[in-house]
Amino acid sequence: MSKNWTRRQVLSSTLAAAAGIAAGRPAWAAAKTLNVLGHRVHQNSLTTGVAGDLTKPWRDSNDTDIAWTTFDTDPLQDRLFREASLDSTDFGVGFLVNSRATPTVAPLLQPLDAYRARTPIEDFGDIAPGLVSAMTINGSLMAVPFRTATIGLFYNEALLEERGIKAPPATLEELVDQAKQLTFRSQAGTPVVGMVVASDLATFPVSFARAYGGDFIGPNLKLVPDPAAMEKAFATLADLYKAGALPRTFATTSNDDQVTWLQQGRAAFTVLPFARYAQLNRQDQSKYPGRIKAVEFPISAALKGKMPMASCVEFWAMCIPRNARDKDLAWSFIQTMSGKAITLGAARNGNGPARTSTYSDPSFAAAQPMAAVEAKALGGARVPLPAFPNAARAQAMFLEEMQLAVLGRKSPKEAVVAIVERITPLMTA
Amino acid sequence: MRPKRVVVGAGKAVAVALVLLWSLVPIAFIVVSSFKPSADIFAVPPRITFSPTMQHFADLWTQWRGFFTGLLNSAIVTAGATLVAVVASTMAGYAYSRFRGGAMAGTAVFLVAVRLLPPIVITLPLFPMVNSLRLNDTHLVLILLYSTFFVSLGTLLMRTFIDQIPRELDEAALVDGGSRLTILRRVIMPLSSQGMLAVAVFVIVFAWNEFLFAFIFTSTRAKTAPLFIAEMMGSLDAFDWGVLFAASTVQLLPIMLFVLLTQRHLVAGLTGGAIKG
Amino acid sequence: MAATTPRTLASTVASHRSRNGRFRIPVKALPFLAPVHALVLGVIVIPALYVVWLSLTTSTFGKAPSFVGLANYVHSLGDPYFWRAMRNTVVIVLIVVHVELIAGLAMALLFASGLPARRWLLAAVLAPYAVSEVSAAVIWRFLFDADVGPVTVALNALGLPSLEWSVVPAHGLLIIALLSMWLHLPFTFIILYAARLAIPTHLYEAAKMDATSSLQTFRYITLPLLMPAILVAMLFRYIFAFRLFSEVWLMTQGGPARATEVLAVYLYLDAFRFSAFGAAAATGWLMVIVSLILGVGYLWGLRRQMMGDAA
Repeated sequence: MSKNWTRRQVLSSTLAAAAGIAAGRPAWAAAKTLNVLGHRVHQNSLTTGVAGDLTKPWRDSNDTDIAWTTFDTDPLQDRLFREASLDSTDFGVGFLVNSRATPTVAPLLQPLDAYRARTPIEDFGDIAPGLVSAMTINGSLMAVPFRTATIGLFYNEALLEERGIKAPPATLEELVDQAKQLTFRSQAGTPVVGMVVASDLATFPVSFARAYGGDFIGPNLKLVPDPAAMEKAFATLADLYKAGALPRTFATTSNDDQVTWLQQGRAAFTVLPFARYAQLNRQDQSKYPGRIKAVEFPISAALKGKMPMASCVEFWAMCIPRNARDKDLAWSFIQTMSGKAITLGAARNGNGPARTSTYSDPSFAAAQPMAAVEAKALGGARVPLPAFPNAARAQAMFLEEMQLAVLGRKSPKEAVVAIVERITPLMTA
Repeated sequence: MRPKRVVVGAGKAVAVALVLLWSLVPIAFIVVSSFKPSADIFAVPPRITFSPTMQHFADLWTQWRGFFTGLLNSAIVTAGATLVAVVASTMAGYAYSRFRGGAMAGTAVFLVAVRLLPPIVITLPLFPMVNSLRLNDTHLVLILLYSTFFVSLGTLLMRTFIDQIPRELDEAALVDGGSRLTILRRVIMPLSSQGMLAVAVFVIVFAWNEFLFAFIFTSTRAKTAPLFIAEMMGSLDAFDWGVLFAASTVQLLPIMLFVLLTQRHLVAGLTGGAIKG
Repeated sequence: MAATTPRTLASTVASHRSRNGRFRIPVKALPFLAPVHALVLGVIVIPALYVVWLSLTTSTFGKAPSFVGLANYVHSLGDPYFWRAMRNTVVIVLIVVHVELIAGLAMALLFASGLPARRWLLAAVLAPYAVSEVSAAVIWRFLFDADVGPVTVALNALGLPSLEWSVVPAHGLLIIALLSMWLHLPFTFIILYAARLAIPTHLYEAAKMDATSSLQTFRYITLPLLMPAILVAMLFRYIFAFRLFSEVWLMTQGGPARATEVLAVYLYLDAFRFSAFGAAAATGWLMVIVSLILGVGYLWGLRRQMMGDAA
């Protein structure tokens, strides 16, 4: 029993340390603290990178510390609404993703028009109007767009060369063709599949549907406006799967797998936000640094030139919970971080800016090789599906039927019929 | 005799080898990957030879400094929860061992039955409750929650162990003028150390790796290590397998050290126990 | 009958007394029971009452809860996905609990029979339980990758087919069960091992002197004395397995096409993705009812044990 003291000693010293930490604030801490609830990328783009800590001037002039609480996307949104449902919350600023900005949650957020009138945001019209309107619910602005992520088609130049393909696909049909050709064993001895995609994201099947001129849910909340296009999209995907150009593990592939597979040369194509360019080509992570490029997701040959490809874009916006304690401080933060100079700085730190002018700024384009391509894609881009109360359920059903169609358990026609049947009641609820 | 012993010895060796293989291969992969250059971690075909690097640990220190505070928070919460759970379980286990009857048995079954409700649903009402008590983002709330989740198991385990301690010892101490509390402290606790250790191990491992409640009830001050590890996985722009495995390795070390240290205690308890002869 | 510790006259009288006052809790016991029951009451029972009410409402962010009676229960019970999740859960639980029991028992006996470098072996055996589930799942996904994973390659080299866990739901359930066992076998093992160590050595010495065979020793000494611990281990393993979540979420996300979804995932989706709290609460209570029905045998055994003499 003589060893008991070790455990008790450890116990008591840690408890003492805990007490020490819990008590007292260091003398150099600022008078106020702003608690921000966001994703790590938001924190990173405002505080670390080429342009440095962009929050410092604001922090100094307001004598405020910023405490960042960061989570992954789904947990982050859940936590934001949970906090906003309390009597009062410690959090002043929250980051909202487009898919969750529905009229149902509007009561949880502080309308920002009055704050805008008092302390306007610099050149508000410069912020992409489509994003602003998505964040305007029942006529009031509920959040200020901060970050966009436009989806593009990434390809491995080196693998394309190995198969003698000179240029990336310009139409969807070419993509399908090339993907099939690129299912082979590479010179490095790695089995390659043409295309890798995450099975739990709507961006990928929606991109295919839009390439054929259709959509999952149109901006006017019309469900599957063009069933034939959706059937064609499913049929194409099922065809790719049968040919082995999509991985056998397609139904359980995750977002992270997409990046890893491309870095390792296990796949030739994937569909990811343009911002991933830097990581895909990282010297220390990728087997093909500098050889992974991106283009706009190609539209089908029949529609090329007739209409722009509506690439998928997701975006984040800054909001204030209605039960926040210091809303003036929160607005001061939002208003400052939305300014032109800081937006450019954040963009140079790796953020996808919400301002149109940033894309044409030379210093941004210098840091982001994909800037021009992304700007062009952003021009015609749309969110994968609009925000409505049952959007999450609708998306889950859509993905489930899509997986069944691709795996060959259902025919594309049956899947599309099932989608319409199951999701129609959700649209009106 | 000798051939049989050889066979038994060989059989045991094979069994041990299988057990080690089963337990350690994935972990070896994690630990080894934390020293592999990023590009080699998921290389296909897998790389067995590589040039080891400490870069991931360095990156962990520079890019994820908060992770180490998270480890400290995890340690505080784990220690607190273990203390509360072990003490409470031993007390209740003693009561269930020494006092019998239908009502007692009923409360014990109730103690176990409440565990059937998935913890995930009680977060729904607990969140506003905890916030109105201003306990959000404190170590105390996690300590209370974690220990609650193990008192049912802990109580049953301690009862099983205390049952092995003959009541004569209780009677002897009572005759000597001790209260039941004294019996507990001086007689029961030392003799049921294996049980207390087993309960402690469960609570420690659970609390050290717990994610759901830490995520719901903490923000910055009490954020524990598993939250950081989960964040490393789901980043929107850049993530680093090497850093993730380095963090997992670092997070695994204290537990392994604890097990190695308390090993002696477990064995000493067995050979030193006066009752077991 | 299991071996009982000798009792003095005094303690026989004392227990007789408490058996006569059968349906009351002895006052002396109350302070000892207080901490445990206070915790359980405050953290589980009281919120659980709220959850009962919640299950009778439709509730989500931004809206006040509105009473809908048993609609949530009716909806879940009529949902084929709920029943599939139930089936998957039961299958996994049955596999996991029983296989782990056998394996844990075997390992406990192996360790108890004397091993070199026991400290390191014990640490190695407990390591999977200590590792974070997130990292473990990442590794397992790679090891078992149907094309390039080292385990798949090894299986194929031995002439066995690959585990197509992304495509065939049965294989998906199997790999989830395997991962769960890998993570939790140390739990079962340590309960059984500690209990085995607590069995007095003089019983085994006596058996050896009587030239009892190992099988008889196991049947008449080891097994009966381990019964209480076995019951506890199985009961709690069963409870934990029933609400199995991360293994599924991290490996297959319930796929392909929700074919490997389990009840905890079904609940999680309602609570945290669709923000349908009433539905989630109802599913939670349905899970309680189902696990009560399936586990009533264990709970009854527990009660009998609690009422009777030691072991």
